[in-house]
Amino acid sequence: MGNAPMTTTLDAPATALAAASAPRPPARRRRRSGVLARTGPSKYFAHAGVWLYVILLAAPLYYLLISAFKRNTDIFNQPFSPFTPLTLDNFGLAFSQASLGTALLNSAYITIGAEVLTLLLAVPAAFALARSKGAIGRVVERVFALGFLIPGFAALVPTVLLSIAMHLFHTREFLILFLPASAMPLTVILLTQAMRAVPAELEESALLDGAGPIRVLWSVYVPLAIPTLTVVAILNFLSFWNEYFFSLVIIGPEASLRTAQVALPTLSIANAAQYGVLAAGILITLIPAYLVYAVFAEKMENAVLAGALKG
Amino acid sequence: MTALSPDLVARRRSAKRRRGELLQLSATLPALLWFLVFTLGPLISLFYFSTVNWRGLIAPRTPAGADNFVRLLNDPIVWLATGNTILQLVVTLPIVVVGAFMIAYYLNLKPRGHRFVRALMFTPVLLSASALAMVFIGVFAPKGMINGFLEILSLEEFARPWLANGDSAMLSIIIVTIWCSMSVSAIMLAARLNSIDASVFEAAEIDGCGHFRRMWSIAWPMCREFVGVVTMLQFLWTLFSSAAVVLLLTKGGPGNATATLSFLVYDFAFNQSKVGYSQAVAVVLFIVGVVGILVIRRAFRQKY
Repeated sequence: MGNAPMTTTLDAPATALAAASAPRPPARRRRRSGVLARTGPSKYFAHAGVWLYVILLAAPLYYLLISAFKRNTDIFNQPFSPFTPLTLDNFGLAFSQASLGTALLNSAYITIGAEVLTLLLAVPAAFALARSKGAIGRVVERVFALGFLIPGFAALVPTVLLSIAMHLFHTREFLILFLPASAMPLTVILLTQAMRAVPAELEESALLDGAGPIRVLWSVYVPLAIPTLTVVAILNFLSFWNEYFFSLVIIGPEASLRTAQVALPTLSIANAAQYGVLAAGILITLIPAYLVYAVFAEKMENAVLAGALKG
Repeated sequence: MTALSPDLVARRRSAKRRRGELLQLSATLPALLWFLVFTLGPLISLFYFSTVNWRGLIAPRTPAGADNFVRLLNDPIVWLATGNTILQLVVTLPIVVVGAFMIAYYLNLKPRGHRFVRALMFTPVLLSASALAMVFIGVFAPKGMINGFLEILSLEEFARPWLANGDSAMLSIIIVTIWCSMSVSAIMLAARLNSIDASVFEAAEIDGCGHFRRMWSIAWPMCREFVGVVTMLQFLWTLFSSAAVVLLLTKGGPGNATATLSFLVYDFAFNQSKVGYSQAVAVVLFIVGVVGILVIRRAFRQKY
């Protein structure tokens, strides 16, 4: 594995990220609106094509949404009509049949624990890397960058063995320890880039005021890196909350420990014919992710672009 | 002696600087250690486990040399899974990359409703692998969305149990893969297109370039390298993440019709008690991943 490929993976999305976070000049937006209207009849193909795609994208989501509130017989008889008697029973059933309440708490415990640990490890590392100018710092940064090329899934079995060796098999705590490692490359690299942008004068004046390195980190670097911190936090939240395979294998089938993502498919096994209950379960597990999206819509776009690094 | 001293001073100063840097870089040690223990360590041990004979996680293991890899070559399921993986990649990659680019170009013209489209495209980002699979359990079910739609159109003869039917199961998996990844790629490409200076397109328009020419002769070459990055991510995602979708939608069935290489890694290790053998598949998968990245990188190298 040469180090050539990772430089592209690093540079290109990073510039795109920078471009996306820069404020767009309003003048350009005005000039470009209505551009499509000025072309010939081919524009109708473009409109039709994209809106066909929109329909194909939206149809399963629409079906999911209305099914969650419908009775089973109505799902079969009038699959697309939203005007059937609505019910909230599916949500209650999803909770009781998949122990979703416990599962959501487990997911929250793992997500928050892993997120805190990630930031505790990554922030000092990024701080040191951003300030280092020597060759060793560059090597360390390269090692983290190598992580982008490592597909976590390939190492599923050795990771399980590691959890057994650490006597943490079938525990949630192993995931809290393991997930930050998978998020480390992206978090460290993005934070390092953000902290490099901190002006040297600010740090110098803090040093003149007698601040130690920890004080400089906490009072100068962290506040200025807040936008990037938010982006990596959102990204990590999504990947921790949505993690499936490692949760499945490492925590195992124990209902009191499993995460929401592992509990959700048990609804389909128990209710092959009850899509309404399953749909309600999907919506419930989607709520936290959707809330984050709703609150941070703009930041979320940056997070996705940053995620391009990791995929 | 006097001639040497500036050199000596410089060396001493650089040694001091290096010590200072090491002290400072010790702050990266916890993060580095974490990364090495939980990510790099398992990955390296993968190569060792691929050379052992091992029936289960608690069974003793015996050295097997290259036996696992020889067995791979003569295993029809592995060949079937390789075929399925190649089919999935060959169908998914061009549709997703070209389609996403066209959607991104369209969105960048800011037509009416582009905000709505963009917001909608974010939903697949929020879905986890299990939620995604569960949505499509309902879509492909015998009495699910697609069959219900066909019934409304009075096209019942095309209705079938999509996931349980050997002919349509792999097609269904591919549809799910495309459905959830096209919008993410489009969002990424739209941001890249947005960073191209609008005057480039205006100049082309004055020169009489239609939209189609502008999309493929200007925008595409200018984004070439970023399109390569998106292709690379899509390739890795399809190669590795199909395991969860396959496991949850079909468990590799009916028969082995939907087994992919990444699914086999899971299936051999956790359902069939062939741990060493599964790791040999994982090694193959890993090598395919690295080779694929290098090929894609070469294919999309910036040409101007």
